[in-house]
Amino acid sequence: MTAIDDRLDATFTALADPTRRAIVARLAQGDATVNELAGPFAMTLPGISKHLKVLERCGLISRTRRAQFRPCHLEREALDAAVDWIEESRRTWTERFDKLDEHLRELHNERFPTTGEQAHD
Amino acid sequence: MTDQRAQADTLTYTRVFSAPRELVFRCMIEPEHLTHFWGPKGVSAPLEHIKVDARPGGVFETVMVDDAGGGRYPTRAVYVEVAEPERLVWTETHSGMTMTATFVDLGDARTEVHIRQTNVPEAFHNPQAQAGFATSLDRFAAYVGNLSNESG
Repeated sequence: MTAIDDRLDATFTALADPTRRAIVARLAQGDATVNELAGPFAMTLPGISKHLKVLERCGLISRTRRAQFRPCHLEREALDAAVDWIEESRRTWTERFDKLDEHLRELHNERFPTTGEQAHD
Repeated sequence: MTDQRAQADTLTYTRVFSAPRELVFRCMIEPEHLTHFWGPKGVSAPLEHIKVDARPGGVFETVMVDDAGGGRYPTRAVYVEVAEPERLVWTETHSGMTMTATFVDLGDARTEVHIRQTNVPEAFHNPQAQAGFATSLDRFAAYVGNLSNESG
């Protein structure tokens, strides 16, 4: 029911790449420099930088401008928005199915007013 | 396509209902049934605003009304496939998402309904993504846990 706004769309597009997801997962544990991020991915620094730019553009991460260290910081709110969307979608179906379950029960009770009794037409 | 693959590609919701498959399927396409459950908790789907033309290309429209605030949210979808009583596919025009509902007759007047939501935001399409989030975000881990435990 929730329309995906452009910002959220950009966030999901950015997260479509496995390397970028891994970067986000790493940053969820704390800030890290480009060098620290490049380590586990067997990637060149320019390669990592390209990914960081995509994440930065959609607001998922921010970087300070000082020196070459420029620690990367995960913007939790942007990530939460994406996770919230998924959770809301799941909640909608859960609640809908709860109601359908109840509706089916009522239909059954209307048709078979006394439990254990056979249908009588 | 195996079930495993289906789950890796999409968001999936599963529920078993104690009702025959034909009835559960009718519930998904008849306004008189839909009005009872289509709105999630705290949201109504008034009968007079539900429009169903259950055939490929036909519309599926509702107006969701927030019980508390009275806010009204029209929704619109178009059916892609109507294969009674096994499968129902529709595409939401506002989000571009496609929903595939599959109805499995479990015998004993029980029916399992699978909802597969495709064209969802890419990030959650594969298990690596889910694992990546699960290791770092408690909330997402809880979400993935609920999703895999929901088939009961």
